[in-house]
Amino acid sequence: MLEIRGGPGRISLAALRELWLFREVLAAFVVRHVKVRYKQAAVGIGWAILQPVIAAALFAVFLGRLVDVPSEGSPYLLFALAGMVAWNYFSSAAGAAIDSLVTDQALIRKVYFPREVLPLASVAAAVVDFLAALATLLVAAWLYGAAPAVQWLALPLSLLLLVLAAAAFGLGLSAVNVYYRDVRYAVPFLLQIGLFASPVVYSLSAVPEGWREPYAILNPIAAAIDGVRRVVLHHEWPDVTLTAGAFAWTLLLLLAGYTCFKRLERGFSDRI
Amino acid sequence: MASALSFDHVSKSYRGAQEYRALRDDVMAGVARLARVRRPPRRVVNALDDISLDVPEGQSFALIGSNGAGKTTALKIASRIAYPTSGRVRVRGRVGALIEVGTGMHPELTGRENIQLFGRILGLSRRDVSRRFDDIVDFAAIGPAIDQPVKQFSSGMALRLGFALAAHLEPDVLLVDEAIAVGDAGFQYRCVERMSDLVREGRTLVFVSHDMSAVETLCERAVLLRDGRVALDGPARDVVHEYLLSVHASLVEQDTDGAVPGEDLEIASVALLDASGQEISEVPTGEAITIRVGYVAHRPIRRPQFSVGLTHGPAAPLSVASMLVDGRTPDVLAGAGHVDCTFEHLPLQPRTYEIWGEVRGEAGTGDLVTWQRLRRMRVTGDILGEGKSVVTHSLVYGPVRIPYHWTLPGEA
Repeated sequence: MLEIRGGPGRISLAALRELWLFREVLAAFVVRHVKVRYKQAAVGIGWAILQPVIAAALFAVFLGRLVDVPSEGSPYLLFALAGMVAWNYFSSAAGAAIDSLVTDQALIRKVYFPREVLPLASVAAAVVDFLAALATLLVAAWLYGAAPAVQWLALPLSLLLLVLAAAAFGLGLSAVNVYYRDVRYAVPFLLQIGLFASPVVYSLSAVPEGWREPYAILNPIAAAIDGVRRVVLHHEWPDVTLTAGAFAWTLLLLLAGYTCFKRLERGFSDRI
Repeated sequence: MASALSFDHVSKSYRGAQEYRALRDDVMAGVARLARVRRPPRRVVNALDDISLDVPEGQSFALIGSNGAGKTTALKIASRIAYPTSGRVRVRGRVGALIEVGTGMHPELTGRENIQLFGRILGLSRRDVSRRFDDIVDFAAIGPAIDQPVKQFSSGMALRLGFALAAHLEPDVLLVDEAIAVGDAGFQYRCVERMSDLVREGRTLVFVSHDMSAVETLCERAVLLRDGRVALDGPARDVVHEYLLSVHASLVEQDTDGAVPGEDLEIASVALLDASGQEISEVPTGEAITIRVGYVAHRPIRRPQFSVGLTHGPAAPLSVASMLVDGRTPDVLAGAGHVDCTFEHLPLQPRTYEIWGEVRGEAGTGDLVTWQRLRRMRVTGDILGEGKSVVTHSLVYGPVRIPYHWTLPGEA
């Protein structure tokens, strides 16, 4: 027996169980995203590779060559590419997730399914692009002489951190976006700031010693980028303190984002 | 019997007109609050106003009413698309809801891909969808277009596909909102058939429609909503009947003069007279009625052919008086005047009918006034208590009353 009442919702076991029951719907939305995204694009999945490569090449020319930003002893192109691959995933996943409810408003007005499926599917669908970009990074690293190493096994850890962070922002802000469309316009701007607030074009070691840990924990993207660079460029394992701290903080963010989503969820179809 | 769906003092209000809020508006409101400026209260629309309803398992149930009466809001709450402002709704079993389903299809994906996606949103597993795929495509009558992107479909095709999908769900409670209004006649017929099958299998149906004959065919019970409240609750045919009566009554008030402009001939008025020649506004059933058609001829017209018909809505009349058939016709019409047509007795049930008319030229050639509705006419009367057994409700069937009698077994 299902009881439907008004008022703000909250995270509950029942809500999570229902999300689990709708996992096939989540999968179907992921498939839809990927298909639609590349259906009419001639270069197809190539865009997922071209975007970070071109951006990294631009940074390599301007910052690497002209300004000579230190790159942890690696070729700047490879260094910037490692940063871009991670950042690009976060920004495209979070951006798509934040827009997801408004984009699919026809569905929200007409069919029931747990609404968190929409932002989560955007976050998951962007993983396909990430994997293509990551493969490019690994091939490039190999060409530069960084052979495959056992440390690569730690890459999923960085990916998971990025996914959780994108889900946290995606859930929270997509819900706010339904109520205040201002979000839609503010997000691209904030993401641009985020690019420079994260160690994409510079190294985490450029941050003063005492600030480095709080910075990389509070901005989990920094921890993820650092993780990718350590693994791919330096054949090191990710830093334990940074990674654990970033995970803990990101899980808190996720809890906050999801709570916000649940509180606002019941008004979606009225307000969208 | 256990109830499949129950509404318990459910209200739903929307904040008025504004589509969405910008942050600016809330900031301004906050500033105004701080400055203790009194702002006019927001307009609040009550879509549902303290509704309590109980639909037992296995019942076929209809919600009817004019646009904006709250029907769709009620369905949206029952299917968890929207939530009540106060009160609660309880649902037992799996719900399948069909609220303009086709409109949610993704235009870039093919019909096949949309079936997979939608089937799953509506609660079918991948295997269920594959198993029923051919049935769904057959039902929607889409044919080879199934592998084209939905954006290349006609709007009817997309909506048919949506309904076909939902019709192949097997929910415990099926909620349907106007979804079948989109197909052609054949498709609508199949939809009604499919829904009756589901009802026969013991599933609960909640049907929202403006198609009163579909409501009467499908549903045992109906509730009439008016301004978000339950106005009437009872057997579907009674409720539909009362609803139509109230709609017709408000229409009769709107137009009664019957004037039709025309180039050569205009109809100035259509009046109803009783047997003594008195003008009347309502006609008692069974009595004689004279329809007086006032005309103005702008040039002399030779041998015009008048026709006057009575209908219960459609253009095809229940009965027609036509000079084309009986050969009675004035020689020349000039200036203003009137033609009377008397029906000797009116075997019509008490409800509202329409008077239609046309005027053709000599020998039936040329339209002076094309066949159209001239005015409405309300037939009144109490048909209860005529026989020995008294009918206990006001229900009437069919527009025409033909005198009849039964011959029972054992009678000669």
